[in-house]
Amino acid sequence: MAETLLDIAMMHSDSLIARAREGDKNAQGKLVQLWYKRIYNFSYKFFFDHDLAMEVSQKTFISMHKNLVGLQEVTRFKSWLYTIAVNYCREEARKKKASRSFSLHDLNPGEGEESYRWEESHHRNENPERQLRHSELSDLLQACLMELSHEQREVVIMKEYEGLKFREIAEALNISENTVKSRMYYGLDGLKKILEQKKITKETIGYEL
Amino acid sequence: MNYKPDESTLIAYLYGELNEKEAKKLEAYFQQHPDELASLRKLGDVRESMSHAQDKEVIAPPVFVDDAGVRPLWQSPYIRVSIGIAASILFLLTAGKLLGPEIKYSEGELRISFGKKSEQPTQSAGLSEEKINELISTSLAKNNESIAASRTEDQRKLMQTLVDFNSKKMDALTKTVSQASQEQVRSFVSNLQDQNLKLMKDYFQLSAADQKKYMENMLVDFSNYLQEQRKQDLQFVQAKVNSLEKNNNQFKQETEQILTSLISNPGKKKNNY
Repeated sequence: MAETLLDIAMMHSDSLIARAREGDKNAQGKLVQLWYKRIYNFSYKFFFDHDLAMEVSQKTFISMHKNLVGLQEVTRFKSWLYTIAVNYCREEARKKKASRSFSLHDLNPGEGEESYRWEESHHRNENPERQLRHSELSDLLQACLMELSHEQREVVIMKEYEGLKFREIAEALNISENTVKSRMYYGLDGLKKILEQKKITKETIGYEL
Repeated sequence: MNYKPDESTLIAYLYGELNEKEAKKLEAYFQQHPDELASLRKLGDVRESMSHAQDKEVIAPPVFVDDAGVRPLWQSPYIRVSIGIAASILFLLTAGKLLGPEIKYSEGELRISFGKKSEQPTQSAGLSEEKINELISTSLAKNNESIAASRTEDQRKLMQTLVDFNSKKMDALTKTVSQASQEQVRSFVSNLQDQNLKLMKDYFQLSAADQKKYMENMLVDFSNYLQEQRKQDLQFVQAKVNSLEKNNNQFKQETEQILTSLISNPGKKKNNY
């Protein structure tokens, strides 16, 4: 995963976190700007749902703001933030399981240009058709991810997409590193089987793109 | 060699988080068990495939969080509401003091006024019906008295004017008469007598002519009447005579018939008996 300026800023945000912890509103606002996309995408991959991801993201940062004073070590900010996000994800997952609601997009996503993803794919200076294929592949892989259990999914997303170390994931989930690695192993193994079932391989992906 | 790596070791190797010693040990194991390496590489392929799941672009919304923990007492909602109400009341009181508003409701009329009360006369509140009637009757009585006094005064003035006018006229006439000479008076009287005489003469002449005409008419009418009466009497006598004559003739005929009958049947007895 190529590091962007944002990633670098996130990695070197200790002083920012320290100031935010002391009540610096400006620093708190910058922290939100730095981490919002990561927490949103973590939640989105967990739920495959924009609204729930927005809900979790906002709750996570509200909670961060309230509880940042209680953070003991600045270096553990990342795992601490993901801990909050995971807890809200689990809470929302319980609510979702109880309500069993569906998005209209899930009921009838459409195909090709009729898909709602077609409209979402039109970014400036990009080939819309190529972007659409990327978007459809992304959603297909996301659907595969959704077939994993919550525990495996959390670990896979944190490791594979959020780039946390096993130690940080263990801290965030409050489990041992070995358990994290074990979940990761079985999570990847499960994904392998799912991809095989759906006949998704490196080659087919390369052909599609 | 009984070494068999567990899932944790394999995953740590896959992600490059295995220490050098363990990594070498595992690589040696893979040389012995290439199927395990192939299996691990498949997991690597899965990672590569899954890496195509893109991040969604999102813009961080503004997050406004209230400082609930460090909020001073005067910023608590209850105190702020109380202060707000107090400030509103204070404002109203100040405005009331400055503007001097007056809100009055009486007899179905709501009146809101500001500033000094106007000097226009206002009806005193609480007037009863009897009092109003009494005021009206008093006012009427005063009005009547005023009208009567005015009328009396006018009458008096009118009478005075008339008296003055008549007396002045009489004075003027008397003055005129007193100024006339004896001769003029005599002339006037004689003239007056002549006029009276002429008037009487005309009257009698006119009266005598009318009476004469009337008498003539009356005599003519009376003679006509007598003539007519005589004519009617004659006609009556004539009629009577004719009637008598007729009766006489009839009697005469009957008598003749009887005599004729007696003569024609002298010896016959009546058989009817």
